[in-house]
Amino acid sequence: MGSEFRYEITQNAYIKLVLHSLKHRTSAVNGILIGRVSSNDVVEIADAVPLFHSGLGLLPQLEISLILIEEHFSAKGLNIVGYFHANERSDDYALGGVAKNVGDHICRYFPQAATLLLDNKKLEALKTSKEHGPVMQLYTRDASKNWKLVRSDGNPTFTFKEPAANVVLLDYISSEKWTDVVDFDDHLDDISKDWLNPGLFN
Amino acid sequence: MVTKTEDNQLNRLENQVDNGGGEAWEYLCLVRKLKLRRSEKVLRHGLSILNDPKKRSSLGPDEWTLYEQVVVAAMDCQHLDVAKDCIKVLQKRFPESKRVGRLEAMLLEAKGLWDEAEKAYTSFLEDNPVDQIIHKRRVAMAKAQGNISGAIERLNKYLEIFMADHDAWRELAELYVSLQMYKQAAFCYEELIISQPTLPLFHLAYADVLYTLGGLENLQTAKKYYASTIDLTGGKNTRALFGICLCTSAISQLTKGKSKEDKDKSQVQSLAVKVLEKDYKQRAPDKLPQVTTALKGLTLSS
Repeated sequence: MGSEFRYEITQNAYIKLVLHSLKHRTSAVNGILIGRVSSNDVVEIADAVPLFHSGLGLLPQLEISLILIEEHFSAKGLNIVGYFHANERSDDYALGGVAKNVGDHICRYFPQAATLLLDNKKLEALKTSKEHGPVMQLYTRDASKNWKLVRSDGNPTFTFKEPAANVVLLDYISSEKWTDVVDFDDHLDDISKDWLNPGLFN
Repeated sequence: MVTKTEDNQLNRLENQVDNGGGEAWEYLCLVRKLKLRRSEKVLRHGLSILNDPKKRSSLGPDEWTLYEQVVVAAMDCQHLDVAKDCIKVLQKRFPESKRVGRLEAMLLEAKGLWDEAEKAYTSFLEDNPVDQIIHKRRVAMAKAQGNISGAIERLNKYLEIFMADHDAWRELAELYVSLQMYKQAAFCYEELIISQPTLPLFHLAYADVLYTLGGLENLQTAKKYYASTIDLTGGKNTRALFGICLCTSAISQLTKGKSKEDKDKSQVQSLAVKVLEKDYKQRAPDKLPQVTTALKGLTLSS
């Protein structure tokens, strides 16, 4: 199923998700991937919405945010195409039960959905080495509907739209841009905070 | 819990200290008082005092409190050398202290020497079986190793002794939710509601867990607790208002209009919808159209 597809993420979507994880370093966070399928079997992840930094396993806030996110982006011809998750512990490289369940839920509406897991080792290494790929692991569902890590040997399945995304990300990290990221948790606590993060890249 | 005034005071001080405006000590005291985790800032501003002999000695006996605060912050930021140096200073001043011994054990934890840390904590508990901080360290240690069920087991043991520790009950509930053990999480929130019936936070969390569990009876109870959250917050809780709409929709999908109470229920829902639309119109007008459509979708499906 997923293996025939390639996944391409835009710089803005990518940076937003990583900054969200950095803002809440001590807790698990998640987010929603927005995009479309282009003609040549590429899932383009055009944007991302940071979701939560608490109670990731609770349904009501997830349902409400998915409804509102879908409502907003469908008007622009974009759909929910996947899920992003960052584990609470930096040495935890397993895709947990909550992440799988949310991923499964999204697959019901978009079968090629990707689940991205933050790779802390690669994120740490950004400062010292020249990591060219996204600091995330790609998971897709196999024929028996199990989530499988997609290994990037030779022909990478998961790539940047803009090749310099990691350079720009480092720039944002060093200027502590992550303090400005607003997620759906923040919005539900104070609705004047905008989960679209319109000013983040200005 | 941090009140709005305290939060404002903290942010004001933090801004001032970050920009070199003084009152670093006052800031550090407030962080300690409110039990906040601001390790990077505590480390930076704490060290700036400790490294300045004049400022340091002006603290008097509070100097040692600051050393302790900086040790914990340094470990949290993985600056283990700084932590080690500060612990050495404390050891010299208080050679037999258990409080310093605890910091040493925490340093073992920070280094990932779990077995040695465990040994140290076990011997502390032999001396004093009701040392709350040591019990909590052991829970945190299991959690740090990814052993969540072990952390749950230890936390349950702790709660057998310290039943009135609300933070511990909350932590336990959140651990259960992270493992998707919602029934057990619901039990924790029941305990919390019984002991602090006027705190809306627990009503809301309980309703969220029940909604996640699903099933007619749970949904009906969830709706009641969303309603009590609204009551306790004077209608100001967005999550609870949305929760009412979600519950109403889910309940009527299950009963397919068979229930007699349907009319009454839709009244609560339409009230919640009205309040939400009014809030969005005032505070986030650009989001109003999507909220209106979304709520309409929920009403139609009910």
